[in-house]
Amino acid sequence: MKKKILIIEDDPAVADYLITLFEDNGYATISATSAQEGFSIAQKEHPDLITLDLELPDEWGPRFYRKLSADKTLKNTPVIVISGLSGNKYAVSKAVASFSKPFDREELLSVVQKYI
Amino acid sequence: MFKKILFATSATEACDHAARVAFDMAQRYNAEIHVFHVLGIPTRGYSQMVVDVTTGEEITLDDNYRDLVREEIRTYYDHQIEKTENWSIDVTTGLPHREILRIARDLKPDIIVMGGSTGASGAYAHQKNVTGSTYQRVAGVARCPVMVINRPAASFWGGFSNVLFATDFSNAANRAFDFAFTLVKELQCEFHIFHALDITKSKDITDFQINTSHTQDTIEDEIRKAGEQLRFKYASRLGDFKNYAMEVWEGIPFVEIVKYGREHHADLIVMAHNTRKPEVNIGGNETEAAIGSVAEQVILRANCPVITINRSVGKA
Repeated sequence: MKKKILIIEDDPAVADYLITLFEDNGYATISATSAQEGFSIAQKEHPDLITLDLELPDEWGPRFYRKLSADKTLKNTPVIVISGLSGNKYAVSKAVASFSKPFDREELLSVVQKYI
Repeated sequence: MFKKILFATSATEACDHAARVAFDMAQRYNAEIHVFHVLGIPTRGYSQMVVDVTTGEEITLDDNYRDLVREEIRTYYDHQIEKTENWSIDVTTGLPHREILRIARDLKPDIIVMGGSTGASGAYAHQKNVTGSTYQRVAGVARCPVMVINRPAASFWGGFSNVLFATDFSNAANRAFDFAFTLVKELQCEFHIFHALDITKSKDITDFQINTSHTQDTIEDEIRKAGEQLRFKYASRLGDFKNYAMEVWEGIPFVEIVKYGREHHADLIVMAHNTRKPEVNIGGNETEAAIGSVAEQVILRANCPVITINRSVGKA
């Protein structure tokens, strides 16, 4: 069964790029454009990994992560932060990795492979 | 709670994180935001020649130059201003801390928001081991709370819902508690009341290991005592408010405060500003003071905005 990645990203171009990248490399994807939608999908789908944009229309990434880590069934899901904001590396302290846009696709894939 | 925000800025990268928080607060809490910039320091008293704080160049000040700087700031914060309803920009000359205190006295803001030390974010700030000197001078005597956002990571929360109040049981901490509790009630936040038991008073680690006054039993006795003190001082003041936690951790105080904030995903830290040396009157209404090192280190390292409160806050 394919490993499932939830992409939380409000920029459709970046979201499409990530979907294509992950699906071409054998992963199943689901996507959300807001933190609230992302959390509902996460509760329903239990993804194996989440990529998280920091600046979402309804919420900032750290606040989403706080909610995620308070959920018993989701708290151990690996999260990768992907953001265009400087200083994003330290925004979610328990994220398994952080990438600044534009990012290296091979580097991202190798991190994903490491965790799922 | 936050109806009038004074955002004191150097209009440089060092204040970008503070700008993100200050404008977000203005939009979120429907507040008026006053952007305040001290553009230059007069070369001598009442001189028209000033040293531009951004470029370091000596310039002749006139209305045109003032307007030019105001317009530059308008452009610099254009992205945030366009989403903000009630804003103003004010530029002046003088010593930054004096001018900030002066406008704060006139404007009576609910909070002053500032960035970290100019050109000293990230690793360099820790090498310097101090917050900005302007902040130190403002925070010691301001009559309102002062918020500092030093790290970019501290600016990615958006609003307050999980507040950490760190206490050293001082009088200034009492004022900080009053402010923090009013804030958590009004904004319906989760409230963490925290004390860090300082176990670093030993000369070094060897002393710590062999000194019998530092057995684990005595440390845990001290933790229990501090816990009782927390309950005695604050629990009775919480009334019907139930969404709180009280904890004492032992260690190096600033490390424990930052760690507790990170572990509990705090989006705001409130603490007392305690001076290390007595306040000295330097004429007029101003006082020179140094900030307590614990607050200073927390400001430099925290993953969220930090508000410090001195013992003058709330006085008329």
